Amino acid sequence: MLEIEDITAGYSSSIAVLHGISIRIGQGQFISVVGPNGAGKTTLFKAISGTIPLRGGRIRYEGQDISNLEPSRRPHLGIAHVPEGRQVFPSMTVLENLEMGAATEKGRQEWKQNLERIYTWFPVLKERAGQHAGTLSGGQQQMLAIGRGLASSPKVLMLDEPSMGLAPSIADLVFEKMIEIRRDIGLSILLVEQRVAEALQFADRGYVLETGRIVLEGDGERLKADDRVRQAYLGM
Amino acid sequence: MSDFQILIESILQLLITGVLVGALYGMMCVGLAMIFGIMRVINFAQGDFMMLGMYATYFAFGAFGIQAFFGAELGAYVAVIAAAPAMLLFGWIIHRLMIRRVTGTRTAGMEADGHYAQLILTLGIALILQNGAMILFGADLISIRTPLSSEAWAIEPFGESMPVLLFFNKSRVLTALFSAAAIIALWMLIQRTFLGKSLRAAADNAEAATYMGINVDKAHRIAFAIGTAVTAMAGGLLATNYPFSPFVGLEYVIIMYAGVVLGGIGSIIGAFWGGMLIGLIQQFSTLALPTQLQNATIFVCFLLVVMLRPQGLFGRNVERT
Amino acid sequence: MNMAVLKSIRVFFALALAYMVLASFVTNSYYQLIMTLVLIWAIFGLSWNIFSGYTGLVSFGHASFFGIGAFATVLAQIFWGLSPWLMFFISGGIGALAGVLIGFPTFKLRGHYFALSMLAYPLALMYVFQWLGFPEVSIPRVTDNPAAYMQFSDGRIYTLIAMVFLCAVVVLSRAIEASRFGMALIAIKQNEAAAEAAGIDTLRWKLKAIALSGGIAAMAGSLYAVVILVITPQSVFGMLVSAQALTVTMFGGAGTLWGPIIGSAFLIPIAEILHAELGNFLPGIQGVVYGIAIVVLITAAPEGMFWKVRDWLRSGRGETLAASAEETPTATVTPLPARETRDLNPEIVLDVRNMSKNFGGLKAVQDVSFKVNKGMILGIIGPNGAGKTTLFNLLNGFQLPSEGEVYVDGVNMARRKPHELCHAGVGRTFQIMRPFTRMSVRDNVKVGSYVTAKDEAEAEAIADNALRQVGLSHIAHQLAGGLSTKDLRLMELARALAGRPHILLLDETLAGLGKEEAVEVVAVIRRLSASGVTVVIIEHTMHAMVQLVDRFLVLDHGQVVTEGLPQDVTRDARVIEAYLGKKWVANA
Repeated sequence: MLEIEDITAGYSSSIAVLHGISIRIGQGQFISVVGPNGAGKTTLFKAISGTIPLRGGRIRYEGQDISNLEPSRRPHLGIAHVPEGRQVFPSMTVLENLEMGAATEKGRQEWKQNLERIYTWFPVLKERAGQHAGTLSGGQQQMLAIGRGLASSPKVLMLDEPSMGLAPSIADLVFEKMIEIRRDIGLSILLVEQRVAEALQFADRGYVLETGRIVLEGDGERLKADDRVRQAYLGM
Repeated sequence: MSDFQILIESILQLLITGVLVGALYGMMCVGLAMIFGIMRVINFAQGDFMMLGMYATYFAFGAFGIQAFFGAELGAYVAVIAAAPAMLLFGWIIHRLMIRRVTGTRTAGMEADGHYAQLILTLGIALILQNGAMILFGADLISIRTPLSSEAWAIEPFGESMPVLLFFNKSRVLTALFSAAAIIALWMLIQRTFLGKSLRAAADNAEAATYMGINVDKAHRIAFAIGTAVTAMAGGLLATNYPFSPFVGLEYVIIMYAGVVLGGIGSIIGAFWGGMLIGLIQQFSTLALPTQLQNATIFVCFLLVVMLRPQGLFGRNVERT
Repeated sequence: MNMAVLKSIRVFFALALAYMVLASFVTNSYYQLIMTLVLIWAIFGLSWNIFSGYTGLVSFGHASFFGIGAFATVLAQIFWGLSPWLMFFISGGIGALAGVLIGFPTFKLRGHYFALSMLAYPLALMYVFQWLGFPEVSIPRVTDNPAAYMQFSDGRIYTLIAMVFLCAVVVLSRAIEASRFGMALIAIKQNEAAAEAAGIDTLRWKLKAIALSGGIAAMAGSLYAVVILVITPQSVFGMLVSAQALTVTMFGGAGTLWGPIIGSAFLIPIAEILHAELGNFLPGIQGVVYGIAIVVLITAAPEGMFWKVRDWLRSGRGETLAASAEETPTATVTPLPARETRDLNPEIVLDVRNMSKNFGGLKAVQDVSFKVNKGMILGIIGPNGAGKTTLFNLLNGFQLPSEGEVYVDGVNMARRKPHELCHAGVGRTFQIMRPFTRMSVRDNVKVGSYVTAKDEAEAEAIADNALRQVGLSHIAHQLAGGLSTKDLRLMELARALAGRPHILLLDETLAGLGKEEAVEVVAVIRRLSASGVTVVIIEHTMHAMVQLVDRFLVLDHGQVVTEGLPQDVTRDARVIEAYLGKKWVANA
């Protein structure tokens, strides 16, 4: 469904961060991307979303080449991006944040059902619907960010380090919710995570990124026990 | 009348004038806040957009027969509204052609994130507008005189026990009401409509807004156009009381920035109160200082705010990345 | 030094002579005035350049100084009968003082606040002078010995005076450009934090720059008043005046000597002639011309005509800026053998004790203690947000610790400013460097050498030595604009070395480098260490780090997790947990 073919991308014309990355996400699949800091995981998401340009390779979505598609059009196709660090709209309320998530065409059509489901998955958002998002705790903001992504009625949900900065118990909770959501609506998920075991445990397929290249890929279960993953992080 | 009564009368009168003038300043500031607050663009030509609005209103009033149709009193206000679409279009075009080259993601590699480029570009635009207006319209002072600008309601609020007479200039009152109405309308747009919310989202976090499917460039253009039109309308209203010339913009630029900074960058409502406060400060400064130094007082206020409390009264503390 | 400076501006003196010859033929008094004004605005532009062009702090308020000089000169003659010959120099002093008074509070502001404030000053002064009752003042005519009051009937004499002034300012500008002063200013423009870390007291230099700039601007204003005879607050404090300084310089090219001269020679005659010919039915044509010039400039040639023409000439001759290096496959570098465990020198050069830093409720760094031995390479690692950069900022003087001490060679340096730490022998690199792209690699590095160098020659020697140490001698004279990331990182390293530190703090020096490039840079760092420099490095690129360091210090959530040999640390359960999560450790 979403095919990243041999892409090269970077922030300025002279430095390439990603070199020849290829990843496939099929319908309903759960794909995890792990790797040390600076490996290019967030850069990968930005390349998919179009906020940095590709310098080589292609991105195909449902058969169409979207490599040059305007970034603000991609969510309307069904690619939702929950960015690193939550990035909620701090001066707007929880409900308004969710409304912004529903800015896509499909999101607007399905707003009522989506909102109900989001409130069921994350009751705390319903409780605090009128609260300013900037005053929520880290975990609540993460839930809001995910809810916001879901409000767009996506086909692919991309999550960039949802556990970052959260206490382990909260991070566990967020992770459980994600699994639950996936079970409920059969969404495709592309996850980037620091907590490697959790990321690989439920994944259909895992990719290990290091210095902008894929150094390891395979079945989530098998990668979980592979010492080469540890080496990718710690160098030896 | 005793000295005490004279003092009370002076203070109350200054308060009234301050509020009426402040309401108009507030509207000007809100126009700037749409641009500076949402886009963080330093538009040095904001005062000249106001000046253009004044001329647009003047011509709408006289040239297009609005005066003849609606009469001298109401006509001025109708002209202000009539000039607005032209100013919206003007703001839209300016952003599309020039401003967007120095804002947004394009500026990541530029010096100081493109701030200097913005200042310099808008300085150039200001010069062209001021001097272009002088060529087209001449340097003479003109105004949109209505009979209301020289009439006032006189009220004795305390009855016979204390003969204090307060004047409410009719034109100023109408202007203040118009400003209030415009601000409320704008507030409803920003708070309640989807467009307004997308503007706020784009201002809070442009990248996240893109991930929501919001075209941030377009949102900025709309904000710029609205900001131009609002300030221009405020100018048209100002013209009903004061004569103006092509260089009027410069005087008000610093008032606008002082008001926006005082109210707090990022807060539209704050900008209104900031403008109101500036109006009051300006009026009350006449108690101690001669009129020519009124504007100097505002500069001092601006510098004090910027140095001591840069986030203003209502400003967001979080500096947007 | 002076001879070298004079030699480099031969072309200018030749042109100046030609200009004066041309001027001697002009008999129409109006054109004589234009000839003089071109020079005066060029001087004003140069004064602006000395401050804004070099430091990058764009001042929109230079009219403050110009106007002060103009008014001081006129009023002094009116009220106290002082001659402009005298007031010319006194204005310079007043302007310099005004520069310091304005600069001191305003330098604390950043970005748009700075720009807006600078704008406010001349406008405020305009209102003040209007209020003081000077809507228009003119220089009184002196009939008895007018020459003593700078009053000449022949306009060409003014042109001569202005030219002498211009020559003096040009020589001064060139001398500054080539000196420590200029280097300091340029370093501030590149990266103020890096400049501080390189030992430059940025506040002091900025104040010096604005004082000099203000003084010269005031003197230009003084001469302007004498030549133009009548001034109003609008004409000397007005927006157009500040805009002119800016436009003229930017048109020609900011940060260069020639910029204001070219800009002035080009724009002033055009504007003045347009004003003269069309001023009657197109009043304000000057403003429109400047406005259009600015808009066109900013959109088409933001760096100015000088650079555009020079680039164009260079490309014509085939001397393009070195093309930005793409990911070219480097020659196969034999990978370094894994680092053998060395015995450490017992002497402790850096002793960090109980370092803590709180930001409000957030504990960025908590009770961190460690010792660094002489000649050691210590790697500080840890997951994102662990507090590594904050720790560096504490060691380097950019942040004040909430608690704790730092002993450098036994001296407590915990609360000193960055440039003091630099003098104490602590050098630092930064992740984000904005090299001055139009200067050579060697000049970029030279900035760092002024800390210890006594004169130019020594500074150059030190810079060359630093370049040799990192292996960049072969591109010493190349412009920094076309360097690859690897070479930029090495240049950063060289600049830090130019301060002759014995402790180097390296901040993510390997970021953005490919595998082979990282290995090359690691080799350079190992050579430095072998020459006696102690290195503390923050990095994420583990595969390179394990080959480089003697010891690791692992931070997580602002606290020390463990420290020790690479082979032990990378298998330590707590470290693995920090990087890969608890569950990974549980499964293993």
